[in-house]
Amino acid sequence: MTAAIVLSNVVKSYDGGRQAAVDGLSLVVERGRIVTLLGPSGCGKTTTLRLIAGFERPDAGSVRLGPRTVADEGTWVPAESRGVGMVFQEHALFPHLSVARNVAFNLKGARARTKTAEMLDLVGLSDLADRMPHQLSGGQQQRVALARALAHDPVVVLLDEPFSSLDADLRAQMRTEVRRILKDAGATAVLVSHDQRDALAISDTIVVMRDGTIEQAGPPREIYQFPHTRFVAEFVGTSNVLSGTISGSGSSVETPVGTIPCMHTHGLLDHTEVLVSIRPDSFEIDETGALEGTVVSAVYAGTSTDVTMRVTDAAGAPVDLLVHAHPERELVIGQRIRARVLPDFVAVIEE
Amino acid sequence: MSAPVLYVGIRALSEPAARWALLFDERLARLLWNTTALAAAVGVVAGALGVSLAWLVNRTDLPGRRTLRWLLALPFAIPPYVGAMAYVIVFGPRGWVSRAWGSTPIDMYSFAGVAFVLSVFTFPYIYLVVGSAFGRLSRSHEDAARSLGLGRWAILRRITIPMLRPAIGAGLVLVVLYVLSDFGAVALLRYSTFTTAIYYQMGGFDTGAAAILSTVLIGVTLLVLGAESLSRRRSRFYEGTGASGSSRRVELGWARWPAVAYVCTVFAVSALVPLAVLGYWAWQGVFLTGLDARFPEFALNTLQAAGIAATAAMVLAVPVVYLRSRHPSRPSWAIERLALSGYALPGVIVALGVIFFSLRLAPAIYGTMLMVATAYIIRFLPQALQSAAASLASVSPRIDEAARVAGLSPVAVMGRVISRLIMPGVLAGGALVFVSAAKELPATLLLRPAGFDTLSVRVWVEASEGAYHLAAPPALVMVLLSLVPLKLMLDRFKEPS
Repeated sequence: MTAAIVLSNVVKSYDGGRQAAVDGLSLVVERGRIVTLLGPSGCGKTTTLRLIAGFERPDAGSVRLGPRTVADEGTWVPAESRGVGMVFQEHALFPHLSVARNVAFNLKGARARTKTAEMLDLVGLSDLADRMPHQLSGGQQQRVALARALAHDPVVVLLDEPFSSLDADLRAQMRTEVRRILKDAGATAVLVSHDQRDALAISDTIVVMRDGTIEQAGPPREIYQFPHTRFVAEFVGTSNVLSGTISGSGSSVETPVGTIPCMHTHGLLDHTEVLVSIRPDSFEIDETGALEGTVVSAVYAGTSTDVTMRVTDAAGAPVDLLVHAHPERELVIGQRIRARVLPDFVAVIEE
Repeated sequence: MSAPVLYVGIRALSEPAARWALLFDERLARLLWNTTALAAAVGVVAGALGVSLAWLVNRTDLPGRRTLRWLLALPFAIPPYVGAMAYVIVFGPRGWVSRAWGSTPIDMYSFAGVAFVLSVFTFPYIYLVVGSAFGRLSRSHEDAARSLGLGRWAILRRITIPMLRPAIGAGLVLVVLYVLSDFGAVALLRYSTFTTAIYYQMGGFDTGAAAILSTVLIGVTLLVLGAESLSRRRSRFYEGTGASGSSRRVELGWARWPAVAYVCTVFAVSALVPLAVLGYWAWQGVFLTGLDARFPEFALNTLQAAGIAATAAMVLAVPVVYLRSRHPSRPSWAIERLALSGYALPGVIVALGVIFFSLRLAPAIYGTMLMVATAYIIRFLPQALQSAAASLASVSPRIDEAARVAGLSPVAVMGRVISRLIMPGVLAGGALVFVSAAKELPATLLLRPAGFDTLSVRVWVEASEGAYHLAAPPALVMVLLSLVPLKLMLDRFKEPS
């Protein structure tokens, strides 16, 4: 595979430059992939997107799109000459142009006609070509915005918080739909999101960002199951983080609440002091489990029951663990339960 | 509210057809041409000035743009008839320039002269409306166009200007309505439009002809209003959402100094020169020849008539606005539409209507100062309504419901709760009405009882006779009063960021 985007040691700071918005970021996006920059507000994800688009110029480092360097110390290609497509948070459809003319915007001649028809077909809006943007629903507006971005055969499509202006129902539907359209078009896409569900559902690769740098990058499953750091463990989903030492030749972690089986110990030697992240989904409530504790709270959430289970550690201090129990199980506060830990969602992490 | 105006129409329709035909042959075509040509010329010039200045100040790196932003709104405070007087002093046949060089670059008593004066003093309408629209534009539309391969100038031409079209349209409508209704500047510069023709017909007591001319002018005004409501309906979809403000200002480069020169020239012509002329003559008037001994009486008359109008407008505005907002129904909508129509009505027509109306139905007020006040209320109530409505928009209907639940009747809710909450808006509206009424010219001239001279009447009379040392002091008072609505306008169109 060839790289569609290469960012090398990119630095960008705003006014005064006390705090860099993007701080020495390097990232390679391969052609045809959907990559999500995920992180809390202020982590630099939007700045990264605008650096790729050419709306911002990096203070240092370089940006390459396909074979072409578009920004480094001596080079600057502005947004209008980069051939990137962009989908904005509020869609930014031109209100004075019809759907078809939005999609055909800045395309010339016969190509405008064929490309518009092709794109509207791709997003399933051929019937609405003559509508004005204000006559469309939110989901339809988003499809038009996507069609407009794709019509120029962009090197990469950039999507800035594409789902944040949609209702919950529509949002779930558009995640699937946008992924299908991008894949059908064979497009390379970079999204920005602060919503882990968007990121997990749509991405080939998730890049978790924090303070202008990459915290962890990988496929959604890997990010969720085996976070590298406490930040990733707690930002993407929820997790129980305990301190302990490696044991069992790297197959488990000794913690104050007991031995936790763990496949993801990064080859560390026994007796190394580490933190371990245990997802609430990793627990199984079972009479024969090694962990024993009391139900402190139980919240029925439909797909699971979110239980806080209080166990006593080796020193006699109480430790609260968040456990997702099967929703069929009825639990009462004060009830004594036992649970075991499955290794599927356990990972050794860094602080 | 609209009864006086309906009377004008009825009166016109009851005139024999022969009179209509005669007027058509003699005057109407000429007047229609004069009026529409003037409106078109002023619209084009004021539009070009307003849009270009709004763009330079809001979207470029023009040096000094922060100061220039509000300086350019200053001509808004100069009533066009005062501006016309100032330019007669400068460019008139016996004016400064003519005396110094023996010739003038522009004949003030011509189409070009009238168009020049009206353009220079009405462009702030467009400048303010378009400037505020620039602030509301979402930057993502321009970013989107850039990512689709457009350069800066192409974005300005293909995205920014088309998206501003509704705002430009709204500003143009204000300017055109102003030109249709202006009497003072047009008459001072001895041009002839519908308003001056109606005025002189009434002066000759030919009320039938005046009614016919008025009806035609109302028709023209309604056409313009129709265009306005169309553009307003479309503009809703142009309001940007999301990140507003511009990502970057356009760098003018070498063009910045010509741009500064252009902006400063417009400021000089539209504010500096007229204010300097007024200041000079007011100085002459007050310190060399002495102020007119009756000046306090004129001021008191103005205070009285405009004060009554402002008070009445505030009292009327609260229930009208409240009914419209809380009980939107056809009648309440109709009430507001009717009241708003007064906005666009030229003072001469309102005066004519008030005369017909009071002769038939309220003979007691005929020939009293109350006729003047009534005309002011009809013309300027919309300003009080708009101001109160803006204030009420921020009061949640839940407040009413809370008061009702606490045991207040709907009338008590309005009187004791809502009216207090929207008092700032109502007072601001009252101030607007007061200033507009104080500046009003044609209705005052036509309706005043004998000997009832207001400041605006004195400006007009003395300026017509070339007694500038007597005209300038009251004119300066008009300008100072007009700073109040200017301040309110600027607050409303404040830079969003």
